[in-house]
Amino acid sequence: MISTPPDLKSYKTQLRRALQNEFLATTLRTFASAYRLSRANAFEGLDATHLVEEIARGKDAAIPYLQELFEQFRSRAEAAGVKVHVARTPREANEIIASIARSNDVRKIVKSKSMTAEETFLNDHLEKEGFQVTETDLGEWIIQLRGEGPSHMVMPAIHLSRKEVAELFTGVTGEVQDPDDIAGMVQVARKELRQAYVEAHMGISGANFAVAETGTLGLITNEGNARLVTTLPPVHVAMLGFEKLVPDLRSALRILQMLPRNATGQAISTYVTWITGANQCATGPDGRKAMHVVFLDNGRLTLARDPVFAEALRCIRCGACANVCPIYKLVGGHNYGHVYMGAIGLILTYFYHGRENARAMVKNCLNCQACKSVCASGIDLPRLIREVHRKILKEEGTKPVKNVILNLVLRNRRLFHFLLRRASLAQSPVASGERVMRHLPFFFDREHEFRSLPLLAGTPLRDRWNQVNPSLENPRLRVALFGGCLVDFVYPEQALALVKLFAAHDVQLEYPMEQTCCGLPAEMMGEKETARQVALQNLHSLDMSRFDHILTLCASCGSHLKESYPRLLEGEGDAEPMVRGMVEKVTDFSSFMINVLQVSPRQFQEGGAKTAYHSPCHLCRGLNVTGEPRELLTLAGLEYTPSRDEDVCCGFGGSFSVDFPMLSAEILREKLDHTEDTGADVLVTDCPGCVLQLRGGLDKRNSSIRVKHMVEIIAEQKKW
Amino acid sequence: MGQATLVQKMKEKAEAVQTRVALVRSMEEALTAAVEITLKGGGHVLAAPGLGERHEEAVPFLNELCRSRGVDLLMENLRGHMGRIHTAFTVGDYAIAETGTLVQISHDEDLRMATMLSETHVAVIPVSRIRPHALAFEPEMLRILQRPPSYLAFISGASRTADIERVLTIGVHGPSELHMLILEEEPHEEAPS
Ligand code: SF4
Ligand code: SF4
Repeated sequence: MISTPPDLKSYKTQLRRALQNEFLATTLRTFASAYRLSRANAFEGLDATHLVEEIARGKDAAIPYLQELFEQFRSRAEAAGVKVHVARTPREANEIIASIARSNDVRKIVKSKSMTAEETFLNDHLEKEGFQVTETDLGEWIIQLRGEGPSHMVMPAIHLSRKEVAELFTGVTGEVQDPDDIAGMVQVARKELRQAYVEAHMGISGANFAVAETGTLGLITNEGNARLVTTLPPVHVAMLGFEKLVPDLRSALRILQMLPRNATGQAISTYVTWITGANQCATGPDGRKAMHVVFLDNGRLTLARDPVFAEALRCIRCGACANVCPIYKLVGGHNYGHVYMGAIGLILTYFYHGRENARAMVKNCLNCQACKSVCASGIDLPRLIREVHRKILKEEGTKPVKNVILNLVLRNRRLFHFLLRRASLAQSPVASGERVMRHLPFFFDREHEFRSLPLLAGTPLRDRWNQVNPSLENPRLRVALFGGCLVDFVYPEQALALVKLFAAHDVQLEYPMEQTCCGLPAEMMGEKETARQVALQNLHSLDMSRFDHILTLCASCGSHLKESYPRLLEGEGDAEPMVRGMVEKVTDFSSFMINVLQVSPRQFQEGGAKTAYHSPCHLCRGLNVTGEPRELLTLAGLEYTPSRDEDVCCGFGGSFSVDFPMLSAEILREKLDHTEDTGADVLVTDCPGCVLQLRGGLDKRNSSIRVKHMVEIIAEQKKW
Repeated sequence: MGQATLVQKMKEKAEAVQTRVALVRSMEEALTAAVEITLKGGGHVLAAPGLGERHEEAVPFLNELCRSRGVDLLMENLRGHMGRIHTAFTVGDYAIAETGTLVQISHDEDLRMATMLSETHVAVIPVSRIRPHALAFEPEMLRILQRPPSYLAFISGASRTADIERVLTIGVHGPSELHMLILEEEPHEEAPS
């Protein structure tokens, strides 16, 4: 049985331990890079976005009718000689399968990989009942021999080294195995498992689809073990979740087009097997297979009716959301999930394995959106993770102190801004006039020392606005600046650069004073009501009729305004049309410069510094802006030098870096290594949060690389 | 897509998943190739389940060929020969060019035994059976699924795993070689069941 820490403290201890595992780190890092490449190759010539949309649409249309699809599947399958069962709980599923085994006088069982069987801990149950179960997928067999659960949905043993496998196989065969002879070890498995197939009386498989219109099961494998499991023994039991039902063959083929490409970067897996009815089997009753299909509910049918979470049932278990997750990459599936891992694991654990197992790890998300951007079925994973977090807070009733304070403060703009001003005054005066805290206050422990933190600005932006912002005679455009807390209270200089630049372009900038925090931190901490209240306040502060655009220098604010406000304010009456109007007007700095002002190289100096770029998560994935910033850098005369994994998160993630400093530090370390590899003098990004993280990290390294917000470097490059 | 392009694409995509592709002009040529592949691989047993039903006329030729080349020929009851079969010779039902996939109607248990338990799988696929992509094959496939029981196999390359340190290794459970012989002339154009 696997165990998952129920509280944050023991979870963090586990994470620290995982970070010590060098093999894991190297393996997962190499895998993450290789995956990105092979995925891109696999989708060449295909419209991946369109395919994702089609799959999402197909799934959404089917999810409300799972019961009907099930009935259709059952009648087709039963007409073809299959017995179809329904299990409401994992225990029921395990018992059904054990009783099928008993009534067929089975002792030995072979099994091909099934996440659903992992979900119910089927092997444990069957073994307790006295059956001998052998996993036949190589990776599953390895972890079964080690008594572990999978650490990845598609590559269950990815956390193990060849050395560990060699030691294991030496024990199994009694002969010393050479860790460098992987082909030899694979042959060991072939030999041992062949014997298991021949001796087994029952085969258990999962299924990737259940096609309702024909009563067909579809199974996808590379090894071919599912073929043997479903062919050699006289009894076949397939176990699958209700969400595997698809209405027709066409839907299944569409998923097939996606699944191997998204999972492993293959155009297709080696074997795709479509089984309809009880097939010929010489050793079966009447020369046919005794075939059973067990559908597992375990909350799925309730989930299917949930307005928020039904989306999670779209998952086709491709594993991609783990492959691209910066946290998964550091700690692996055993530390980032329970049975299911990665982004979807954080969500499903709550529903399938309970709050206890989800409580701590659901906080462990950067909201970097990497998972969402590759999800085969377009699930908004980061949002559902936050929703699960919220649900748990609500159920548990007792809120962490910081949530209580956050709610209190954030809902009252005056109080919030008053406190920020006070905090600025309370900062100890820094001798050298530096703007960073080298040594953190006592309430941060040493783990936070990986970056220095900026001091709050002496005077926030809002308090100087009227003096610094010129009023233009006949401006060509009116733009509202949505500052966000970091620009307002930490980096007002970024806004000042913008003021200067816009004046030169004859754009009138305004700073609506009633605006407050965008509310993303509240949403991240599971405080949706607070998030809604501040959203309303901001919406009312931005009088849309007066502005042509709403510009924000913070990608996180921008993507939150654009993406989350419509959802947060759904059904708010007057607010709804206002939100729609606002969403259209929200823009980031680079897009505004390129698409609206259409700046040209003439306006900038030549021969600028060698410049690396960090693409903020909420800009490249949240707002889908990827071309403009790079174009702007080049156009403004800078020597833009691409770096590795430019669009991978910097590890900031707002309060994430406070909760999980050890992970934040590691993610940042890699980011800065890649930046230093480019030999750049300047690192540019377009989000003050990233500036904070990157600058703080480089400062600790005593690096000479300067970190600039895009607006600052563009203002520097401008010919005045 | 013209036939030549289709065959070209089929070949290219199948080779991309390590399938060995050759063009043949007759069933005899295909059978000869299968026997040679067997001998070259150090094998002495060839199974050709279902050949009698699909290409009865080819059976005497194969019998004679195997006898003369010292290869044992098995046609049925393959459960009794598990572990002995070196080569499985099959006639594929369809192929999908886009993914280099062989489609084999495998309700017949002997056919499954042979293609799963052999070391090498040699499949002949008539050009007229190649479809450009899976969706183009969907109507035909649906008809097959609508007549159960059925066990339909998509096979794209040899059995593989990457479960130990992500090193791609061939031949973990099933055949370690897949040969696809594209038959350019088709003596019997017959729809499969
Ligand atoms: S949002 Fe980022 S950190 Fe969170 S689960 Fe997705 S990929 Fe991982
Ligand atoms: S949530 Fe999406 S990316 Fe993750 S396994 Fe499911 S389908 Fe794949």
